[in-house]
Formats: sequence, structure tokens, C-alpha cells
Amino acid sequence: MMLRAVPVLLGGLLVTLELAGLAIVASLAWGLVIVLGRLSRFLPLAWLCAGYVQLVRNTPVLVQMYFFYFGFAMVGLRLSGFVAGLLALVLQNGGYVAEIYRAGIATVGRQQREAGLALGMRPLEALRIVVFPQALRLVLPPLANQFVTIVKDTALVSTLSVADMMFWARRLIDRTAAAYEIFADLTLLYLLLTATIAVLMRAAEWRLRVAD
Amino acid sequence: MPHILFANLPYLLQAAGVTLLLSVVCTVLAALIGIVAALAQSFGGWPTRGVALLYLYLMRGTPLIVMLFAAFYLLPYAGIDVDATTGGVMMVSLYFGAFMGEVFRGALASVPRGQWDAGRALGMHGTWLMRIVVVPQALRLAGPPFVNTCIMLVKSTSLVSVIGLWELTLAGREVVERTLAPFQVFGGIAAIYFVMCYGLALCGRMLERRVPHAQ
Repeated sequence: MMLRAVPVLLGGLLVTLELAGLAIVASLAWGLVIVLGRLSRFLPLAWLCAGYVQLVRNTPVLVQMYFFYFGFAMVGLRLSGFVAGLLALVLQNGGYVAEIYRAGIATVGRQQREAGLALGMRPLEALRIVVFPQALRLVLPPLANQFVTIVKDTALVSTLSVADMMFWARRLIDRTAAAYEIFADLTLLYLLLTATIAVLMRAAEWRLRVAD
Repeated sequence: MPHILFANLPYLLQAAGVTLLLSVVCTVLAALIGIVAALAQSFGGWPTRGVALLYLYLMRGTPLIVMLFAAFYLLPYAGIDVDATTGGVMMVSLYFGAFMGEVFRGALASVPRGQWDAGRALGMHGTWLMRIVVVPQALRLAGPPFVNTCIMLVKSTSLVSVIGLWELTLAGREVVERTLAPFQVFGGIAAIYFVMCYGLALCGRMLERRVPHAQ
């Protein structure tokens, strides 16, 4: 009785999952690009990337979504709500992910990199072979938090008429007025999603542990 | 070129004032809720701690927009008639109260055990020990994450526009509907949010430098 809304919401769950999955993978990649730019010795590039991070971290993702969705439609390049939402999620969270990477790399320390260089590695090699594997363990917990944030922020695309879980829940309420039930099911599904991420990331952390 | 933005700037700035007011009220309420949640989780018996944990996980694991719509749709069914302002303020405060709770709990847990013991050894106990020894140190530790949570809160006030609370983002949508200049208007709005949030970040950094570290 209590879970009657779930089958309808499951259709939206697929869209939510798809959007969250794409946003997570793309944010991880985009964050890497940004952090490499930030650590570059070519200062204008480093400043540009630092400025980018501040810009996206200090503006609401909802406004960014509106900017892309309504903005590009006006100049004749109509983005679907899904694409506009994905774009905003990736640009925003890529900035956060870049900061997480940077903190991880900074914690591993310069000596490690220099040790790599002393062994004759090229700068990027030293990063890839020496620094990144160590930083990976450090960045997992904050990344887990970021992934949870991404999943939660996907609900905002319902305002761009994308048929995700939130969208179907509102549809269902308008039609059936069974608000309690629908919100209980919706909350449950989101909790299930975010809890799954937390558990998976904890497992990854455990796999990558080293005996200190 | 951005003449449409400038023509509508007074209207948008008025709305920015609402966003600012909303942020301040919600931050104060969220901090109060956070303090209660942190104390309940750190010092409560198991029933209190259970309720606090349930609240924390519920808020931190679900999107704010879901919670806002829940307040919007559910309260009228329960016979409670709240307007968008009350509902929005209530929900944003409750939501960020959970995040503030984590900030304060983390800060309390980071005060070294030895400090508590030292206070007890001097004969302090209860609120006395908390007030003189623990809280001053915890506040210092809570500073940076507290500012980050405030920035998140300011950004998240944009979501109350979806339940019809008039603030900066909703005003922006109105202006766009009228002027059909989304790049200018939403770009301008993003800039206003940026000034508020980046200003907050700078204040946080200044405060951090001002408060001397106890060592």
C-alpha cells in the first residue's frame, strides 16, 4: 500500500541514474583537466583555472542550469533540459572535484614528486606513477560526499521538464493527491541511492587501504 | 550591450536584498538547530541520539528540492496552511541544520580528550567545563566548515523560487520572461550570487586570520 508510487517513480529513477552517472564520470574527468591547469607553471593558465573554480563554486547550480537552458535556446541552439542540466552539473562539480584533487595532491607532498623526478621520471610521469596512486586514497572520502551532492542536485533538472524521479512525483501528486505516500517513496528512493554511493565508496576505500 | 540587465538592475537588487535577508534568517536558525543536533548526538542517551541520527541522515541523503515540495504539498494536507515564505525558511533551515550539526559535532569531537580531562582535573564539570574549555576551542575548529556551509546555504536559497518565494532567482525568471534576454539576466544574477558568496568566503578567511590559534 505504502509503496504504490514506486513503479511510476522507477521510470524516473532511470533518468536520474543516467544523469547522475554521466555527471559523476564527466566531473571526474573535467576536474582533472582543471587541476592540471591549476598546477601548471604557465601562470595565466593557473590563474584562469583558479578563477574558474571560484566562479562555479560561488554561484548556484540552478541559476547555471537556467543560464544554459534558456540562454542557448534564445540564440537558436536549443539544448534539451537533460543536456543543459548535465552541462551545469559537470561545470559546477568539476570545480569542486578539482579542489578535492588539489588537496589530495598537496597532502601527498612535494618530496614524493621530487623523488620521482630524481629517479628520472618526466613531470607528468611522476604525477601519474608516484603522486596519483597515493592521492587516490586520500580523495575517496570527499569524492563520496561530492557524488552524493551530484545525485541530490540531479533533482533540479525537474524544473527544466526532464522526466526524472522528482518530476514524476510531482506529476503523480497533481493527479492522485496521495502526497504522503508519494513523498515517502520518493525520499526512500533518494536515500537508497545516496546510501548505495556511501557504501560503495566505503568499500573502495577499504580495498585501497594500506597497512600503516 | 548589456543594457537590458542594467535597466532591470534595481528590480534584481531588490530581490537580492530578499535573498540576503533569507540567507541571514536561515543561517541563524540552521545554526541553532545544528547546535541542538550536535549536542543531542554527542551527549544524548540512545533515544535522543537515534532521533538526531534519523534527522541527519534524512536531510543529508535527500535533495533539498524534494523537502521543499514536501513542505509545499504535505503541510496543507495536514491542515497546516503556511505561505511560501514560512515554508521555505523552515525547510531551508531544517535542511542546513543537519549540515551545521555535522560541522559542530565534528568540531566538538576534534577538541582533544586531554582538554576535557584537564578541565575535570581542575574541578570543572557540565556546562562550566563546556563553556570555559571546550566550546571556545571547538568554535575555532568549526570556523572554516561553517563558512562553507553558509555559502552552500546562500546558493541553495535559489531553490525556494520553485515553490514561489520571490527572491533573486524567481525575480530573474520574471525579468527573462519579460525581456527574453536569458544570458544577460541569468549571467547578472550569477554575478550577484558570486559577490555575496565570494564576499562570505573572504570574510571567513579574514576571521580565520584574526582569531589566534590556541597552542
